[in-house]
Amino acid sequence: MSMSDANIALSAEMAARDNMITCRGVKKWFGDFQALTGVDLTVKDREVMVVLGPSGSGKSTLIRCINRLEVHQEGQIVVDGIELTNDLRNIDKIRSEVGMVFQQFNLFPHLTVLDNITLAPVWVRKKSKVEAEATAHELLERVGIPEQAAKYPGQLSGGQQQRVAIARSLAMEPKVMLFDEPTSALDPEMISEVLDVMKDLANGGMTMIVVTHEMGFAREVADRVVFMEAGNVVEINEPEAFFTNPVSDRTKLFLSQIL
Amino acid sequence: MTASTAPVTHSSQARPPIWRNTTILKWGVQIIVLALVIAAFTFLVSQAKTNLDQKGIPVDYDWINDPANIQLGEGIDTQPNSMGRALWSGMVNTLRIAGVGILVATIIGVFVGLARLSHNWLAQKVASIYVETLRNIPVLVQILLWFAILTSLGDLTQDSGVLNDFVFLSQKGISIPRVFFADGFYQWLFLLLVFGVGIHFVRKRLQRKQDLEGGDKHIGLISFGLWVLAAAIAWPANPIMSWVGSIFDAIADVWGSIPETLMQLILTAIAVGAAVIWIRRFLESRRTPAGLAKLTDDDWFRMIFAGIAALIAALFIWILWPGLSSWIINSGRDFFEFLGNKFGGERGSLPLDAMKPTLSEGRFVNYGPTGLTMSVFFASLFFGLVFYTSSFIAEIVRGGVLAVPPGQSEAAAAVGLSRMQSLRKVVLPQAFRVIMPPLGNQYLNLTKNTSLAIAVGYSDVVQVGQSLYNKNNQTLAVFGIWMTFFLACSLTTSLVVNIINRRLEIVER
Amino acid sequence: MSEMSGPLVVPSAGAAEIAFGVEHEIAPEDPITPPGRWMRENLFSSWSNGIQTVLFAAILIGILKWLLNLVFAEESDWASVATNIRLLFAYNYPVEQFVRVWVSLGTLLAAAGLSIAAWNLDLSFTLRKLGINTATGGGVLVLVGILTPGTAPSDVRAGMFVLGAILLVIGLAVLFGVKDPHRKRIPFEALLISVAGLVVAFVWLFPLGRYEFAGDEASYASGTINISTKGPWTVMMIVLVASFLVGKALGRVLPSGALKGVMAAFWVIGPAFLIFVVLRDPAFDWGYVWAVDVPMALGFALLGGGVLYFLTKPGLGELGRIIGAVLFGVAVFNWVAAFFGLYPMLQKGRISFMLLAVFAILAPTFAGERAARLRFATGWAVLVVVMHWLITAINTPSTLEIVAPPFLGGFILSVSIAYYVMLASFPLGILLALARTSKLPIFRVMSTVYIEILRGVPLITILFFFSIMLNLFLPGGMSISELAAIFTGYSLFSAAYMAENIRGGLQAIRRGQYEASDALGLTTVQRTMFIVLPQALRVTIPNLVGQAIATFKETSLVSIVGGFELVRIANQTIPNQPDYIGQNRPALLFISLVFWAFSYSMSRASRSLEQHLGVGTGR
Ligand SMILES: Nc1ncnc2c1ncn2[C@@H]1O[C@H](COP(=O)(O)OP(=O)(O)OP(=O)(O)O)[C@@H](O)[C@H]1O
Ligand SMILES: [Mg+2]
Repeated sequence: MSMSDANIALSAEMAARDNMITCRGVKKWFGDFQALTGVDLTVKDREVMVVLGPSGSGKSTLIRCINRLEVHQEGQIVVDGIELTNDLRNIDKIRSEVGMVFQQFNLFPHLTVLDNITLAPVWVRKKSKVEAEATAHELLERVGIPEQAAKYPGQLSGGQQQRVAIARSLAMEPKVMLFDEPTSALDPEMISEVLDVMKDLANGGMTMIVVTHEMGFAREVADRVVFMEAGNVVEINEPEAFFTNPVSDRTKLFLSQIL
Repeated sequence: MTASTAPVTHSSQARPPIWRNTTILKWGVQIIVLALVIAAFTFLVSQAKTNLDQKGIPVDYDWINDPANIQLGEGIDTQPNSMGRALWSGMVNTLRIAGVGILVATIIGVFVGLARLSHNWLAQKVASIYVETLRNIPVLVQILLWFAILTSLGDLTQDSGVLNDFVFLSQKGISIPRVFFADGFYQWLFLLLVFGVGIHFVRKRLQRKQDLEGGDKHIGLISFGLWVLAAAIAWPANPIMSWVGSIFDAIADVWGSIPETLMQLILTAIAVGAAVIWIRRFLESRRTPAGLAKLTDDDWFRMIFAGIAALIAALFIWILWPGLSSWIINSGRDFFEFLGNKFGGERGSLPLDAMKPTLSEGRFVNYGPTGLTMSVFFASLFFGLVFYTSSFIAEIVRGGVLAVPPGQSEAAAAVGLSRMQSLRKVVLPQAFRVIMPPLGNQYLNLTKNTSLAIAVGYSDVVQVGQSLYNKNNQTLAVFGIWMTFFLACSLTTSLVVNIINRRLEIVER
Repeated sequence: MSEMSGPLVVPSAGAAEIAFGVEHEIAPEDPITPPGRWMRENLFSSWSNGIQTVLFAAILIGILKWLLNLVFAEESDWASVATNIRLLFAYNYPVEQFVRVWVSLGTLLAAAGLSIAAWNLDLSFTLRKLGINTATGGGVLVLVGILTPGTAPSDVRAGMFVLGAILLVIGLAVLFGVKDPHRKRIPFEALLISVAGLVVAFVWLFPLGRYEFAGDEASYASGTINISTKGPWTVMMIVLVASFLVGKALGRVLPSGALKGVMAAFWVIGPAFLIFVVLRDPAFDWGYVWAVDVPMALGFALLGGGVLYFLTKPGLGELGRIIGAVLFGVAVFNWVAAFFGLYPMLQKGRISFMLLAVFAILAPTFAGERAARLRFATGWAVLVVVMHWLITAINTPSTLEIVAPPFLGGFILSVSIAYYVMLASFPLGILLALARTSKLPIFRVMSTVYIEILRGVPLITILFFFSIMLNLFLPGGMSISELAAIFTGYSLFSAAYMAENIRGGLQAIRRGQYEASDALGLTTVQRTMFIVLPQALRVTIPNLVGQAIATFKETSLVSIVGGFELVRIANQTIPNQPDYIGQNRPALLFISLVFWAFSYSMSRASRSLEQHLGVGTGR
């Protein structure tokens, strides 16, 4: 039911936009375990898509395939018109167009916050150091921690670290941002500061795929919500409809447990 | 970390050009580098061959059977009749000093390591001085110092030593009384084995009874008593097992009569069979209810590698060293004959015997039953290695104990164990897992360091090898033997350590 | 061989730290316990504790007595050491050229002073610690005096008693006379100055006597050490203190990190130059230098720089990669041709070309804006010039007049071999470690085989192999000196251990670091250079120091394969001198002390450095 549902769920205004990400029949095995069983999914330009699902359903695996941290074995993934194949050039291009924020931040502990942010722009985007640093300061301003530039990641709180991680990804001027449970490793009082940054991003028109358990965020910000189960998409819908009137039984069960 | 690339099926786009194809780049680079390394290696080897040919030195192992004409200071054969025998003597000497050294170094090391952990201030300090002094002085210097000290001791007379008639200490070496395996030992051991089977059954019966009826049946105590009884009975009764020797002789005959080609075929079958079984198991592990899972190119590589390994083994058996099979046949026969000779002790032969040192003409008697004698060469190497290595072992033991969370010994103290008991029953078993791998490494280091024997003239494999190639210029071949010998030691040690580690892990769970 | 592998087995850095253990010393903040209570708590708290005290006291006294008997044995002639100090440290180095040694030693000390200041190492300690150490030292000295056998010179024994008593009194006075000694720290400046002062006072005032070896005759005159020795040492101590103070001052003026960077660079390449200063006085053939060497160096620097500048242009894409590959192919072919005697050219040309090819392959990684490209090209040019200068200088005959053939020997040889071996095995070790942890199976297998084979055999067999056999493997016409062959073998051996150490560091890096760098689009080379290696090496530092110590100790094996190293001089050269026939025991004891002092202070220094830098905490 996935494809037809997905298309139904698209509002007319959305449908007019270009496809940013297209997954067709994506399959992925880990050894003998199949983590993705033929995922079909499209994400439009400037769309915010929230991915929900029980643990182990393949949410992380899916978004990690989109920037090739994992390699899918069958099917097709196209990002901004570039297909992910074993073509070196395509991989390089997609990596620098797709930003990713991890649950565990994964900041580089031996570099200062500023160096964390400028590293990729300087060496991958070939910007000058001065220009990169100016951008970095702007971004730190935007995520609300302009005064931390000279510190090392170990000296920051979890929420601050995650905001640095977001700034680091944004510094590459990505067209798409992927978030893998960005708030799961945070104390409750820090969650909102990270979510606020993400909301700003969404309002600014960034294309985003967000794996999260923050239902409030999903309701407020998402254009569409995807529900995954056992390596495949079970249901796609606009948030209101998804939460108030889920179609599949599995989704109903999941929502009843979580809400 | 990009995961390994698997064959990907793509519908829409054409394959990328080869210089951008990650799969091709990845394998291409590896194969080119491999080819370069092999080419460089081949070139160097061929160069060596040419150079050796020019000097008229053939590269082969035929000289193994040439007469040696050297005399070894000590060992199983001090007047070896062939070069191979001389090397064999050297290897035994190496293993001898390594084995005893490992044992003694471990005892001292554990003692010092525990002393460093003692609550007693003086014990701690003395132990740390021991460690910090010994491990910071090169082992070679220590060996030479011991040699200098020992050789400046007095001449050997009846009263040179600490305890007249029992302990001798002189520039000819050190000698103490020893207990040794006498004629009846192996017979005794065999008889014990037979008894052991019986004891095992008794034990099982008792265990079952205890499980059924409850209560303490003193299983441990009873079986210990039985063992003691068996040992006592077997002591005088050992000659009834003297017929066992003829079984080994028979095996030796059968083994020796295996034709060479058959042996080659068997070896090849083992190699190929192992590869086939491995590949099948591997594929099996990749098979799921839904059929064979996707194989990554890493998987393919492993399978190909297994196949190539089998091929190389076959090549080795048939072409590179056709003598391998006859070597296996001969040494196997010798081994079983050797075992056979250990039996056949007559009535009244004892399993164990003890002897005091005996002197004659200012030196220790070298042959026959006598005291345990260490020549100065052996002793200086031995002391140097043992003390040096023990300082590292002490640190490993200490580190291992400290690695056990303090909560463990606190808990032990809370249930009322004494410090000694908590160390023995709670802390050490856990520390053992941390200690084992680096300890194995130290054992290996000690074994390799025995090669410093050359500095004091103890006849180990390196010293013997050197005197051989000084005679016949077969340097390359001798190096090959050294390398094989030491690699075999390393592999054996790491195998043992791995097995112990795995067992410990299972116990842990 | 020995403890090189101590921590190696343990794969993760976390576990590796265990092997080193953390000293649990009593925190310096503790006030002093009265001696009576202290003894009750630490020596006689229980029956078993009391027994241990008695047992270990007996062991300690027994060993000490035995050792002292050994040192002061009648047949030991310590003049054999005193007369041969120069031989032990510098072997046949011409006396009139010693100023070079002093200059390079002085430079090292100056660098040490600057570095201590640059890293702001606060090695100060409390008065309590000072008091305890002084008093303990004094007590031990008195004990030693008591245990010293009657064969020792009487003034030595008397000196021990007097000095021991003085130290004991001073220590106790500090401990009990000063209020709250555990709160008062001695500033490091004062410490440094007083240590330097003590050294200077010692060499000027202590009547060690002048021992000399003229021809084959040993001679002795009473008095203090010769001016030709105590003069330089005085100057060097002053240099050490002055450079520390200068470093402190510079630290206030310069931006933070500037001095650190300079000093770090110095420690990597500086010693190479200094040893060079010690070793050579080359008589350059200036005509040849101007006609061949200079144009060649400039050519590589400029043309190569140009090529690299072009290759670092952003967006060059595959073109850059292809050019790099072609250059590499040509470089390899160049070597292949060399082996068959084709295209004769200077060896350094081939080496430079190979280096250029490697740089060209790496170039796309360092692509960027103009300034970055210029930096890259300049780096290349500097490297080429330095390398060519070194090669030229080494290849030119030295005019130093040496009495006997082996020119390098003694302590200098040990230190230089250890330094060069560590330096040479470092890059190789990194490559091997990367290969062994890589996902590329062929690389992994090759590296594993290399590492396991070299770690499986004793160093001495490797040294034999290289010193005897290396020339056999070289094509006709090529040959290599024995020392160079030994050095090559030792480096290859050491690289295997280095690789295992670094592998421990690599394994300590979490997966997320790789994923984050990949997600940012860094290439594999960039990821390795900017993210993986900096973190891995930081974790590895303690193990690398351990390996450096082991390497230093094992230079003693060089004596077996023919190098005139400390051990060989002590064990063979000195006992063969007519004045000191058979006297190897004093010399062996003496070099034990030298090795011990060096290794022990290195390990102590690394431990405090480790704590200071907070290795592994990621700061
Ligand atoms: N590297 C891997 N090797 C083997 N199996 C893996 C690997 N990564 C993920 N899996 C498996 O794939 C399945 C999907 O994992 P994934 O991490 O995508 O789940 P998820 O939906 O993100 O779960 P969670 O909400 O817990 O993060 C899980 O069963 C997991 O065990
Ligand atoms: Mg997940």
